[in-house]
Amino acid sequence: MNPSALIHVVDDDASLRESLLDLLHAAGFEARGYASTGEFLLDPLPDRPGCVLLDVRLPGPSGLELQAALRRQGVALPVVFMTGHADVSSSVRAMKAGAVDFLEKPVGRETLFDALQLALARDAAQRAHRAEAQRHERRLAVLTGREREVFDRVVAGRLNKQIADELGISLRTVKAHRALVMEKLGVVNAAELGRFAAGRG
Amino acid sequence: MARCAAFRAWGLALACMLGWGCAAAEGATQDRNVLVLYSNNRLVPGNIAVDRGLRDGLMADRPVQIFSEFLDRPEFGGATYESAVTTYLRDKYAARPPQVVVAVNDDALDFLLYRHDSLFPGVPLVYAVASRAFLQALPQRPADLFGVPMEYDFAGTIEQALQWHAPARQLLIVTGASERDRQWEARLRREAPAVAGGVPVEFISAAALPLLQQRLAGLGSDTVVFTPGFYRDGDGRLFSPRDAAALVAAAANAPVYGPFDTFIGTGVVGGRMPGFEAMGRQAAAIVGALLAGKAPDAAGLPPIAPTAWRVDWRALQRWGIDERRLPADARIFFREPSFWQAYGHWVIAALAVIALQSALIAKLLLEQRRRRAAELAVQGQRAELAHASRLAVAGELTASIAHEINQPLGAILASADAAELLLQSGADRRDDLLRIVTRIRRDDLRASDVIQRLRSLLAKHKPERQRFDLNVALADVATLLSGQARQRQVVLDIRPAREGAFIDGDAVQIQQVLINLLLNAMDAVADRPEARRVVSLALEPQADRAVITVRDRGPGIAAEHLPRLFDSFFSTKHKGMGLGLSIARTIVEAHGGRIRAESGPGEGALFHVELPTREHVLATAPPPI
Repeated sequence: MNPSALIHVVDDDASLRESLLDLLHAAGFEARGYASTGEFLLDPLPDRPGCVLLDVRLPGPSGLELQAALRRQGVALPVVFMTGHADVSSSVRAMKAGAVDFLEKPVGRETLFDALQLALARDAAQRAHRAEAQRHERRLAVLTGREREVFDRVVAGRLNKQIADELGISLRTVKAHRALVMEKLGVVNAAELGRFAAGRG
Repeated sequence: MARCAAFRAWGLALACMLGWGCAAAEGATQDRNVLVLYSNNRLVPGNIAVDRGLRDGLMADRPVQIFSEFLDRPEFGGATYESAVTTYLRDKYAARPPQVVVAVNDDALDFLLYRHDSLFPGVPLVYAVASRAFLQALPQRPADLFGVPMEYDFAGTIEQALQWHAPARQLLIVTGASERDRQWEARLRREAPAVAGGVPVEFISAAALPLLQQRLAGLGSDTVVFTPGFYRDGDGRLFSPRDAAALVAAAANAPVYGPFDTFIGTGVVGGRMPGFEAMGRQAAAIVGALLAGKAPDAAGLPPIAPTAWRVDWRALQRWGIDERRLPADARIFFREPSFWQAYGHWVIAALAVIALQSALIAKLLLEQRRRRAAELAVQGQRAELAHASRLAVAGELTASIAHEINQPLGAILASADAAELLLQSGADRRDDLLRIVTRIRRDDLRASDVIQRLRSLLAKHKPERQRFDLNVALADVATLLSGQARQRQVVLDIRPAREGAFIDGDAVQIQQVLINLLLNAMDAVADRPEARRVVSLALEPQADRAVITVRDRGPGIAAEHLPRLFDSFFSTKHKGMGLGLSIARTIVEAHGGRIRAESGPGEGALFHVELPTREHVLATAPPPI
């Protein structure tokens, strides 16, 4: 288990919520419970690995609405849905919106843990991806404005001449910027440069 | 008696008589006279019976004048009297000479035989009620003497009577003091012992009436009395034999038998005897033949007047003689009609009326039963309908109720899993485990509670009458509908009474009403903005009733719909059957309550349910559904 992961349990049923928290704690997860969408949103969200175990039907805004809100706010926490009565339309809606799983209550321990592991793994992957991207961003930040313009066009597959035309500079200048970019980013050829760009995600 | 000399001329007379008779038949058909001479008084019943038989028998023939004369024996007698009578008869009938003379009884026959030639020379003589003994005693029977002899069957009567009353202690024979009485006594003294079969025979002969009556009154019923009646008692008082027999029968505390059919009706049981009227008819047949100029057909007449038992039915009853022991030819007189014979038609009429009434009553009962059955069927159908309606409601609630059950089930599962993990970890987490187990129990109770409430709502139960708390019913309703309210995102605001509100009735049915009203209200607010998706229910006990108010903030009820709101099959919903409110009203009214709706424009709908809380009001009629 990832000891630093935090699982957010959103369910209006106090008893079920507490039971789930007990279960998660017993299994070594860190978990935190919320009775409603609002309660969850009001609580400061720590920047920690984790996922959301979310009841579909909640008083006030529903679980699906919370999922949408999180996406809009750029909160990338994976969501595992639970529902007392699964209907096709809400499950489809949830999965399309990127839910990890759609569990039907009562949820068996194995099922629940599998889903949570999956969600945490996805969260970890996302986090790794995001870290890599940030690292790239940080390295890209050393580039000057013109160098960045040249870089973008090189990884987009433009020829030097085309870049020179687009930016209204000479072919020589393009080549000079390109050599500087490769040097600053520590790559030796265009292929590596392409991989670097792709790794940014 | 000295009468034998009279018969010498009879042989000669016969031829003349026959020839004359023929001539008379041809010439003077209009003038046919028959003289009947009776031995006794004209009112002696036997005479009257003979007269009736004679007249009946002759009337069929042709116009015949029947003249009756009476010797008035035994009261009158003696040579002077007989001489006077002879003169009287001769002179009297000179103008209307009889073509046939009939002598009734031995005395009259004796009288006429002795004086025939001087009185009615050449006129045929017919006898009736003449004893065979007397006829046999005649030294010579004239040729123009006709008739059927008879015999009083003293012996046969006595023999039979003793059989019927066996074992009789005594046979008592009562006779009188007149000459004729003495003759009978003599005959009885001869005949009775032979047929008494060892039963002692005692005679009371020529006793004075009071003495006789006294004797008779002292008899026991084991004595059999026989009397031929008498003409004169020991005091010289005169009687007809019939009157004498009547006195004997009245006085005797024992069955009395007698040999004459005239005794029938006097209280005498009866006897074996020839019938006087029959003997009159036999004589009439002979007279008729003679008047017609024919010789009487001896073959057509019995050699002796037939005798038969004649009995008084009432006396049979009195002395307990079984009718079946009577001889087959016995004639029974004065049979009192049985109840059936006497009142048969009334009985039939009464039975018919009773049968008719019974049929009517049966029909009415049947009708009542049918009506009751129909009512029961209607009640059954209503109950079915109410149940079906509950099922429909339950179907509507299924999803939300499944949720209500799933929640605790999910919690239980999670708790159990948690406990298992804690135990597997080996760490001492006793407090946590205790908390988890407690919660498991709580969740389990929660789930079973929901199921129980649902089951009580769904169960097909007989309507019951019990005192129950409306608050409890309200709590059940709240539980059952909470999931539904959440699903529909409706705020369900249920306010029970501060203290118990008890009514008599069927809790499930009342819950059905409340659920129905609440679901309607939720439907009404379904399209409202969230702030108006509120349904409230309040219970307020008042003095003698509980008032439940269900209010929603929906669009309200159109004024034109209000009057028909509780009618069956009235619905403004697309999917509605229009039965919910109709059933609700039926239930409420069956509980002695009222339900009504009100709604102002744009104000939402308000339903009032009033249920009586007084026990005596509810004790009147059980809810029909």
